[in-house]
Amino acid sequence: MARYGMVIDMRTCVGCQACMVACTAENQTPFWSGKFRTHVEDKEQGIFPDVRRTLLPRLCMHCENTPCLSACPTGATYMNNDGVVLVNFDRCIGCYACCIACPYDARFPYENEDVNKGHELYGKTVTHDMPHVDKCTFCAHRLAENREPACVSTCPTHTRIFGDLDDSSSEVHKLAASGKAQVLNPGLGTSPKVFYIPS
Amino acid sequence: MTFVHQEVWHWQIATYLFLGGLGGATFAISAIIHLFEGCDRKMLSVAIMSSIAFLVIGTVFLLADMLQPLKAIYALTNPRSWIFWGVVFINFYFLSAIVYVIPLLETWPKLLPLIKRIPAPLLGLLERYNKLAALTGSAAGFLVAIYTGLLISAAPAISFWNTPALPLLFVISGFSTGAAYLLLLSTFSKNEGKWKITAKLEELDAILIVTELIILGAYFNFAFFLPTGARESANFLFHSPVFIIGFFISGLIVPLAIETYGIFFADHSKKSESLLLVASALVLIGGYLLRFYVLKAGVFQYPW
Repeated sequence: MARYGMVIDMRTCVGCQACMVACTAENQTPFWSGKFRTHVEDKEQGIFPDVRRTLLPRLCMHCENTPCLSACPTGATYMNNDGVVLVNFDRCIGCYACCIACPYDARFPYENEDVNKGHELYGKTVTHDMPHVDKCTFCAHRLAENREPACVSTCPTHTRIFGDLDDSSSEVHKLAASGKAQVLNPGLGTSPKVFYIPS
Repeated sequence: MTFVHQEVWHWQIATYLFLGGLGGATFAISAIIHLFEGCDRKMLSVAIMSSIAFLVIGTVFLLADMLQPLKAIYALTNPRSWIFWGVVFINFYFLSAIVYVIPLLETWPKLLPLIKRIPAPLLGLLERYNKLAALTGSAAGFLVAIYTGLLISAAPAISFWNTPALPLLFVISGFSTGAAYLLLLSTFSKNEGKWKITAKLEELDAILIVTELIILGAYFNFAFFLPTGARESANFLFHSPVFIIGFFISGLIVPLAIETYGIFFADHSKKSESLLLVASALVLIGGYLLRFYVLKAGVFQYPW
């Protein structure tokens, strides 16, 4: 049993979006509808000449106190023993209560049209065979094979650091505990398991 | 900080919230009037049957908005979710409403053969406990009406919704639409003593509108003074002419003025009926617009 988490080092992100592509290929996310499990937010801040560009990769925060899990009436959203927040497609009725409850814009509907398009593109290997609300799973299927999430293994700049937050020898534990890493919206009390080292 | 309008709940959910509040409140007010005032059983049965219809239609809209409506029974799984409680409240409501309305339907001669098919001991029980059903039904109606606000207030990143004022606003507005609907119905009653009930409903609706105005004042005061998504939402509503004219002026101020005139100056007669009809219709349209625009004004406040 682990407590998986991620540290995102914003100092090294170059905005290549390889993480988005790797995630899309790995998880068959409906890129054709502009929906992704992970995004790289590209923000310009300030007023000329005092301007800066911030790249913020974002995904599900796999919160300890999970608003989406509380909002889900069917129990389709659940947390596994490794602290990963998952969706049981078969249980999801698509009421969108989780989309409304999520403070991090980490969920999107995998609609009927997306399912049809998925069948067309992926044939027998399709993994989303019914409509549901979708989100990042930290690539739970890869974790089961002792592999890192696709976005982490693909990142060329080592921006995404993944591991067991409870393992004191892990890089992710050390960075999360270093005081340099912060969570998004700490005031909401969601206790995210994704941390950010600001640029 | 980024502010983004929510894009998942639209007019279908607004319709569900409106009909939920209207149906719940219509039942609760009717049952309370029955308990404390006594009234025309024929009109009462029409009110209860229509309140059941409102809830049924509302539920159809909710189901139609889901990705997998045929699996809706799973919604009774997680008691931490407000939707779970909504399903419980609505079922409790349907059960109470049906138990309550069956003895009332005996006033309709055409329905008598149907009613008589119910075994006599069961019908006897329903008649005996009619007032108890009225009491539990009014509680169920209240719970359904307040649930519509609780459902959307469970959104930590939408600060305009995530406030105790919203369930309060929705329940008061729901009761106001319920009173307006009953007022509308009462104008069709042929019963001699209807003016007594009409006058009561008129007073009730006026009090509810005043309460709604007070809550709205406090709500917008809170929203405007916080540098959050709530301010964005409040600004959006203040710049929506349909919200200001359709809901605030036509749906609150005008009916309140008409009802105040009715309470203090009008002698209740056929002549004043048309005014009551206008006031009731405006309150109902306003109630729908309130929910539609509150949903539209749901703004996520993201930290990036």
